[in-house]
Amino acid sequence: MTTHEKLEKIFQDAFGTEKLTDDMSIDTIEGWDSMAHVALIMTLQKEFNITISPAQAIELIDVASIKQLLDTSHC
Amino acid sequence: MRTIQEIIAIVKDSSSWLLYRRAEREIQKFKQDQRGLFNTKMKVAVLSSFTAGPLKDYLVVEAAKEGIDAEIYMSGFGQVSPEILNQESGLYAFEPDVTIIVATADSFAHNPFDAVEELIKLSAVRQERGTGILVVNTFMALPDWPLHLLETDRHAELKKANDKLRETFSNNYQVQICDLDTLAAYYGYANALSPQMQAMAHIPFSEGFLVLLAKKFVSYLKAQAGLVRKCLVLDCDNTLWGGIIGEDGMDGIALGPDWPGREFVDFQKAILELYQQGVILAINSKNNYADVTQVLREHPHMILKEEHFAGICVNWNSKPDNMKTLADEINIGLDSFVFIDDNPAERQMMRQMLPEVEVLELSDNPALYAKSLRETNFFAKASLTEEDKKRGQIYAAQRRRNQLQQSAATLEDYLKSLEMVCSIRAAEEKDVKRAAQLTQRTNQFNLTARRYTETEIQHMIADSNWNVYVLGLRDKFGDNGTVGLALLEKHQDVWRVDTFLMSCRVIGRQVEEAFVNRICFDAVNTSVKRLGAEYIRTKKNILVSDFWGKMNFSKDRSDENTTYYHYDLDNYTSGTFEHLKFE
Repeated sequence: MTTHEKLEKIFQDAFGTEKLTDDMSIDTIEGWDSMAHVALIMTLQKEFNITISPAQAIELIDVASIKQLLDTSHC
Repeated sequence: MRTIQEIIAIVKDSSSWLLYRRAEREIQKFKQDQRGLFNTKMKVAVLSSFTAGPLKDYLVVEAAKEGIDAEIYMSGFGQVSPEILNQESGLYAFEPDVTIIVATADSFAHNPFDAVEELIKLSAVRQERGTGILVVNTFMALPDWPLHLLETDRHAELKKANDKLRETFSNNYQVQICDLDTLAAYYGYANALSPQMQAMAHIPFSEGFLVLLAKKFVSYLKAQAGLVRKCLVLDCDNTLWGGIIGEDGMDGIALGPDWPGREFVDFQKAILELYQQGVILAINSKNNYADVTQVLREHPHMILKEEHFAGICVNWNSKPDNMKTLADEINIGLDSFVFIDDNPAERQMMRQMLPEVEVLELSDNPALYAKSLRETNFFAKASLTEEDKKRGQIYAAQRRRNQLQQSAATLEDYLKSLEMVCSIRAAEEKDVKRAAQLTQRTNQFNLTARRYTETEIQHMIADSNWNVYVLGLRDKFGDNGTVGLALLEKHQDVWRVDTFLMSCRVIGRQVEEAFVNRICFDAVNTSVKRLGAEYIRTKKNILVSDFWGKMNFSKDRSDENTTYYHYDLDNYTSGTFEHLKFE
């Protein structure tokens, strides 16, 4: 499974979205609120076996920035 | 639209908050459309010193798994004291069935002793002002220095503070102490805490521990709603012992102090602990009857003996059929059963044929059987009465009574040979727990099926407008304990029978007639003119649909589920009960 597919699955399970696109963000996805954001960070850490600092977590407010972080983390 | 099962399946075996959060949202949507599908609805208030948002998500989903629609009220972050002290707060307006306080010691004070004093004070205020029961969590130990050598006082201090909390409320029916610290120790402190969630959102606990905590809280909801199971039904081969008795023989089965065999001894010990807490035991096995009873009677390493079982159904019939036989024999409903079998096909069949029966998803590895069982909440009771401790014995004695009944020529002979002694008296403080329990657990011989909490019963006993009767019965096989309850609301000329119930295990022994007779007798002696009574139909009390008629009460009218009766006490003549002695 590619990073994109894995991420798409996580978003589908969490928010009921369909296709995952880079422009999806905390503003466009229903249910991605501040609490869900913390939950999402915990899931990303576990699923991709990475550590996300609070400073990074604040920046991860759209799919594009999450993908960018995952790419630089060599996933 | 998803079904509730599909929604619950979102979380599967995961502890992911993200998935629980999604499932919680789906449940809320589901409830808006088809609220009626849950059997039980409960209002739960959670007061916490940290961000309790995730706890709500976990709690709603775990409650839904048990068929409970939990409506949750959350205090704001760190709002425990204001919610309790302000009489106008949302907490009191919500009128919860269960209020849970979960707070860290340092949210109240710098040292645990001052903190626990504050918590005790708040609990008392909440209990005086609010509705329902209160569940107060113990303080959890703070992060420690696991590899340091100098001992700190912190653990000892915290433990003392928690002991103080427990002692303060040990005899209070309304306040239950939930031992969060012990639960965290079971899970492992290091894994129970999440430094990252704490840093990001003031959530101290890890996702895995939040699942366990929510399940623990759901145990309180189940106990309060009377959803606790009563009877554990066991397969034999490869469940109680290793191997197949019919093929391997007494000497060949694995059961003893060393592997292979030790794992089954440990499993039986866990089952015996349940028996000692009042869980009824039974056997449902495809075997030759004589083979199984020989093991029960003669195998030196069996922890469970014949005397522990209230029903022994060993034959070649299907297990669902045997389950129905056991329900008749033991005289409890199928929804009181939990079934354990090592064979997944048998488990599947039981689930399909008798969905009311709870089936334990047993581990494939016998070494983990005991752990599988210990981590369930099927039998989680909020308090233990003297009856509970004896219940296993009481039901096992019933099996011997039934044998006597089969050998007695007539019902008269049987009743006479039982040598029954009956006591009917006004309930006292010591009867409160059992009386409440009887209202919550008695389904078949229960005329109105009204459920009462210990607090409500306590109030009725203290209230001169109510008479609370308890009935005890013993016979030559032992003491059945308190098996009958009647709650009467007294008006000038009329006593209204609010509740009249008997435990199933004494039905058909003419005790119920004696009970009604005694109530009439007391009423006549206080110049009451008539008794009013109702039969409220439920799914389970068809057994007593014509009880008042049989007791010569006259039918007044019926509406949807209720039939109203009365009895003119002018007609009363004292009854005689030749098989019963009274004390």
